Amino acid sequence: MKQPLYLFTNSTVKRKDNTLRIETSENKIDRPIETLSEIYLFGEHSLNTKLLNFLSQNKIPVHIFNYYGFYSGTFFPREVYLSGHVTVQQAAHYLDPEKRITIAHKFIDAAASNILSNLGYYKNRGREIEKQISRIKTIKKQLALAPGPMELMGLEGNIRDLYYSAFNSIIKQNYDFEKRVYHPSDNFMNAIISFGNSLVYTTVLSEIYRTQLDPTISFLHEPGYRRYSLALDLAEIFKPILADRLIFTMLNKGELSEKDADQKLNHCYLKDTGRKKFLRKYDKRLRKTIKHKTLNKQVSYKRLIRLDCYKLVKHIIGEAKYSGFKMWW
Amino acid sequence: MKALDYTGTQVNYFFVCRRKLWLFTRDIRFENENEYVQLGRLIDEYSYPRKKKQIEIGKIKIDFLDNKQGIIHEVKKSRKIEKAHIWQVKYYLYWLKSHDIEHITGEIDYPKLKKKEAISLTEEDIKAFEDIFAQMKTVLDKAIPPEIINKPFCKKCAYFEFCYV
Amino acid sequence: MYIIAVYDINTETREGRRALNKIFKLMKKYLIHIQKSVFEGELTKAQFQKMKLEVMQIIDPDCDSVIYFSSRDSRWLDKEVHGLGKDTTDNFI
Repeated sequence: MKQPLYLFTNSTVKRKDNTLRIETSENKIDRPIETLSEIYLFGEHSLNTKLLNFLSQNKIPVHIFNYYGFYSGTFFPREVYLSGHVTVQQAAHYLDPEKRITIAHKFIDAAASNILSNLGYYKNRGREIEKQISRIKTIKKQLALAPGPMELMGLEGNIRDLYYSAFNSIIKQNYDFEKRVYHPSDNFMNAIISFGNSLVYTTVLSEIYRTQLDPTISFLHEPGYRRYSLALDLAEIFKPILADRLIFTMLNKGELSEKDADQKLNHCYLKDTGRKKFLRKYDKRLRKTIKHKTLNKQVSYKRLIRLDCYKLVKHIIGEAKYSGFKMWW
Repeated sequence: MKALDYTGTQVNYFFVCRRKLWLFTRDIRFENENEYVQLGRLIDEYSYPRKKKQIEIGKIKIDFLDNKQGIIHEVKKSRKIEKAHIWQVKYYLYWLKSHDIEHITGEIDYPKLKKKEAISLTEEDIKAFEDIFAQMKTVLDKAIPPEIINKPFCKKCAYFEFCYV
Repeated sequence: MYIIAVYDINTETREGRRALNKIFKLMKKYLIHIQKSVFEGELTKAQFQKMKLEVMQIIDPDCDSVIYFSSRDSRWLDKEVHGLGKDTTDNFI
């Protein structure tokens, strides 16, 4: 399996001898192009068009984060897996309100199920979160009745609020975490969640890119509403699995603390040390494998995203009903 | 799709798996990601470096042509789906004949097995193709893909995860 | 699979020196350079096969040699570094 490369040290990234060369102030480091899946850039880097053309040839996306660790964008190689048939059918599923809500519903249903898995795990470890669990279960049952994506997003918001309100019980350290605040995050917990979510978004986007799906045609989020909205849709399912679990474990083990964040007057962001620590665990988590039930073989967590993309394609071409990935452990 | 618009791969897939043919034709493809496909391509590329020159005529792509003897060659990894290989080469011969290129024969090379197999186009084959094209059209006209075939070789197919997830 | 590749190229001739340079550049595309003529890294079967075929086109089998050590998984390989020891195979830079 190809692996990502994460660059934190300021550098110049080049094409040299048909592979990747990273020049920092101290070192010249070569990395094999043939085994590279994507590049994450943190800090300051210089790159030129010669490199971008080279990465494009090798189908390697580059995800760029700004000084505060906020995702700013992705350089995408020219599309490679286009299928007119799939694109047309995908658009048709967006345009037909009934078809659209069917898919949107599946995203939230799977997301809620994965949220409940996380909560169930901590309930079994003695946390007082029974109230949130039963309320989320009630809302989950109402999802199928939502007449449109707007109402569905509303219910999703309710689930999230309940979920986040359980964080204070799940995490042993006492962080002041009242509610989720976006852009910019106002406290440590929000800063970590934002960072984790942006990583899941980029991972999902890279996987969509390697399928016939069009990342701009989405079902739950309104297309065109911020970035590649299909990645936002699918990220809902995988955020609890890939990011949230990691946040809980790292905070509970003290692997990440407020020292890893910078608190400014009214916003908070993860420092380089914090980002690096989190990313290392995140990278490891993506490679972790489980035995897939229907494929009957080991697949990585990252691969689960791709498989969900395949399921979505099968739904769109009218073959099999989609249902989002749900943790069974 | 007119009969002579098919590629050799499509004819091959018709004999391997109709579902694969349907998906492939609609550009739902996974060939680039699959380990076995990549290994197959390597054999193709490196087995006959000097003679090898892929030729594209119209819709068909011939691995290489032995000009002196008038033999078109197709390089394959294993004989597991031999029937599909044979009909792929027969299709090339049929295509060439339909374009007035005659007195050509074919050969399938299995460099890894150090084996080869001569292929020719008979009158019966030419008749059979009419039926094959008609059946291909029926498959491709379907609104949804044909069912999964559940064969042991599915596991090594580039479409395995897509089909069985 | 996890691969360690080492090579010894005869550089007495001009062709030999050219081959040495080519091998070095070729291996950099697939593996991480860890010592003068040693590379290591994780490859799929197809990537490994491709690299080997490309290497074969460059070396002169009568006076050069390339050796590959492979393991199904890097977990079954212990690595110990003495002296200048940084983890040069890290995917975090």
